[in-house]
Amino acid sequence: MAGPSMADPTAAARAVRQARIRSRAGRVGRGLILLVASLVFLGYTLAPVVWLVSSSLQNEREIVSKPPHWIPHEPTLENFAAIFTAREKTVTYETRRAADPASGGFIPSTASNLLPALGNSLIVACAVVVLNLLVGVPSAYAMAKIRFRGRSASIYGILATRVIPDIALVVPFFLFIRNLGLLDSLWSLIITYLAVTVPFSVFILVSYFESLPDELDKAARVDGCSRWQTMTKVYVPLALPSLVAVMLFAFLASWNEFLLALMFTQTPKSQTLPIIVASFTSDFTISFSFINAAGVLAIVPPVLLALIFERYIVSGLTAGAVKG
Amino acid sequence: MARITFKAVTKRYAGDVVAVRDLDLEIFDKEFVVLLGPSGCGKSTTLNMIAGLEEVTEGELWFDDEIVNTLPPHRRDVAMVFQSYALYPHKSVYENIAFGLRMRRVAAEEIDRRVRDAAAKLEISHLLQRRPSQLSGGQRQRVALGRAMVRQPAVFLMDEPLSNLDAALRISMRAEIKHLHTAMQTTFVYVTHDQAEALTLADRIVVMNDGVIQQIGAPDDIYERPRNTFVASFLGNPPINYLDGTIEGADGAVSFRRGGMRVALPPALAARLRGSPGREVKLGIRPEDVSRHGLGAETPAMEGIVDTVLPVGSDRFLGLKVEGCDVFVRVDKQAHHREGEPVRLALVPERLHVFDKASGLSLLADGAP
Amino acid sequence: MTAITSLPRRAARFGGPTYDERNALVLIAPLATVLFAVAVFPILYSFYISLYGLKLTRPHRVPFVGLENYVTVLTDPQFWEAVGRTAAFSVMSVAAVAVIALLAALLLNEEFPGRRVLSAVLLVPWAIPYVANALMWKWIYDSNYGALNGLLYQLDFINSYMVWLGDADKTLALIANAFVWKEVPLAVILLLVGLKTIPADLYAAAKVDGANALQRFLHVTLPALKSSFALVIVYETMMAIRHFDLFFILTEGGPGDASHVVAWRIYVETFRNLNFGLGAAMSYILALATLALAYAVIRALAQRI
Repeated sequence: MAGPSMADPTAAARAVRQARIRSRAGRVGRGLILLVASLVFLGYTLAPVVWLVSSSLQNEREIVSKPPHWIPHEPTLENFAAIFTAREKTVTYETRRAADPASGGFIPSTASNLLPALGNSLIVACAVVVLNLLVGVPSAYAMAKIRFRGRSASIYGILATRVIPDIALVVPFFLFIRNLGLLDSLWSLIITYLAVTVPFSVFILVSYFESLPDELDKAARVDGCSRWQTMTKVYVPLALPSLVAVMLFAFLASWNEFLLALMFTQTPKSQTLPIIVASFTSDFTISFSFINAAGVLAIVPPVLLALIFERYIVSGLTAGAVKG
Repeated sequence: MARITFKAVTKRYAGDVVAVRDLDLEIFDKEFVVLLGPSGCGKSTTLNMIAGLEEVTEGELWFDDEIVNTLPPHRRDVAMVFQSYALYPHKSVYENIAFGLRMRRVAAEEIDRRVRDAAAKLEISHLLQRRPSQLSGGQRQRVALGRAMVRQPAVFLMDEPLSNLDAALRISMRAEIKHLHTAMQTTFVYVTHDQAEALTLADRIVVMNDGVIQQIGAPDDIYERPRNTFVASFLGNPPINYLDGTIEGADGAVSFRRGGMRVALPPALAARLRGSPGREVKLGIRPEDVSRHGLGAETPAMEGIVDTVLPVGSDRFLGLKVEGCDVFVRVDKQAHHREGEPVRLALVPERLHVFDKASGLSLLADGAP
Repeated sequence: MTAITSLPRRAARFGGPTYDERNALVLIAPLATVLFAVAVFPILYSFYISLYGLKLTRPHRVPFVGLENYVTVLTDPQFWEAVGRTAAFSVMSVAAVAVIALLAALLLNEEFPGRRVLSAVLLVPWAIPYVANALMWKWIYDSNYGALNGLLYQLDFINSYMVWLGDADKTLALIANAFVWKEVPLAVILLLVGLKTIPADLYAAAKVDGANALQRFLHVTLPALKSSFALVIVYETMMAIRHFDLFFILTEGGPGDASHVVAWRIYVETFRNLNFGLGAAMSYILALATLALAYAVIRALAQRI
């Protein structure tokens, strides 16, 4: 902007002043745009969840207000209390009828399944995490650092198994699990979730191991490490960030999975949280406030993990994006 | 304390890329051998095969009286220093140096003693608790050396260990490595593309190109009697000059001729080339093998026009046009030549190199064509 | 030294596995076992089943029917209607994800106070289970007490509460909305990767050349985002085609057939009608279609880049 007016000092000064005014106006405008956009973004992302939480804190009577109470007038933890005490309480038709809303009426008899389901979900997710590491780390190390015939083909082959939709695999999965006698057992979920999650884990780990120098591998082996020791003593400690990412993805995917659990589990013995929660949604006698409390229960662990480990998740997903 | 023997070793990668072809080489116990060549010549692959990091595809690799073809690196008594140092980022300097001993289950006190000893020798005792990321390049280099030293290996391998250092440090480290070899009394195999390093350090140099050994010999031997044009060009800075021409053999006197230039060849060569007048050859002249003095009617000489003058402090380099060829020579600094001036320089007959033009092989070497 | 020649030349070999290859084999074996048992084998087995008239309602008579199941599926007009719904759902969803994610990514690519908070919040929809997402939207869409009705009523957009999911004209779009809300975060992260790779010099150069903000966006930002967009579109399309959870919880294919998509049809055929052979055939068709689509999209985009 200085170019043509340089010859005339007053014109130059004017141009500079104008540019400054313009840039200040531009800054204010940019700030406003960013503010509005941020608010829209927050509203879009959080409003549904906030509303879910808000309605889980309302009692039976308040939840049916028209128009809805956006903020509970009489906030209550009754619904959550009901989930955690459902085991001790016998819920019968009479207690249901007699119940006044504030003392947690319309609590379904299946509510007592929520806590065991939470436990099942935890067991399955943790087992899948551990198996992901046990199965994923050695193969990722081999694929990243050992030269062998068919190496690149195997990486793509592993990823390709994820292109087939799970829904297309339910029939053979079901027959496979049934023939193993594992229907309605947590093992059915652990095995299938492992197969579903491990390709992505391997993918993340391979790209991370590949980013570590090959000479470290050579140094460790000359220093006296076998292949296995090179992996455990050098690469695993260095790959900690990607291991965290892998653990998180495996945990979240297992915690959130629905379709396979729907196929393989039949009783509370093996049903996971999504299955129990889903079973509430089709029961019209259950209060929405209670269902929402169950929903909140299912949301809290994964959301907390995601917020705490945000950095690792983003870097893990990013690694996938850069390579893919 | 090991003799390393390659017997007809070939290394082939997937897709039939040959990295090393039919290599025969014997490295003697306690010898300092430098593998020298341009990148991709197979020298690092050769070193990796000694370490066990890459497997031998064909042939045999011996350590003393044992075939080690399939022996993985952790079962070989070798230590290695890498170009990038390859220090373990998550371990302290102390643990980096100690790691190889720990893996070999050396007693804790012994480890401590050796680590501190090595650190003292390398003057890095004050750095033992640091992480590699807190060290300078030179310090990392010393840690890498220390890690290999404490192992007291039978074979000490170095893969371009000085290439990542700045020029001054590189020269001082050369001396230290030389001392290290004397002190450790073990077999050293050192890979580099830097001919100056090779000439300074080696007992013997192995020059490689395209996976094939070009020449093996002591540094002076290789420098003064290169077996082919590749070796001649690769050693020497500035590099050797070549003039294409033909052999003229009139009775007793045999000479090299290019245009109006005629150089009488020394008797040893003359005897060998007497029978082949008209043969096409390359005359090799190293930049330092010319002289402004001792010009006589009988001495072989070279005439040219000065093209460029490059003073470099101790010496002076001249770029000449000789019979249409660029020739680069070194003269003493008393020489005051100007660009465009004609110049006549004496050649030292014993230091002339003659190569077969087609094959590039030296005609001086034993068994030459 | 005479011993040398008497030793077998074990090294002179091409075929056998090397030390490293044996190690690689051992390290990869667990993964290979798992993937073979729980991915490769089911894929092949699925094809095998699809050639039989396997019905769990008559488990003792399993006739070989060849490609009959495929013929049945492909000549069934209801199947093609389901395909149409899946296509409509996917196109709506992917388009919305792409647009919303682009806007969000452009926002998060700016430097401003609070950006860190926004990027953390972004992960909330990504992390929550689809089941919770479904029940949340089911409650929001509820025709008697839902938040959507409440909000629109309070803002005077509607005079009385409306039926949402129960309205066949709106169902697919409403389910797509729930799907999009959960899928946007991942797409944003993928697009941000693309945005981060654009060198600042490029914008400076465009500014010097006199390009305004819109021109800079069109000529610098969008072209650089091409491959990230490709990834988003391929991935989200695959996710939309196979999506099941929301259909199960929000509508069960209803009202009527309004949300009867292919994934839902496979479920009904297999687990409600217990017609495994037919379900497997349909699954195979869906899998092949997904593969073909992914391949075609990648090829098309690869050629244009």
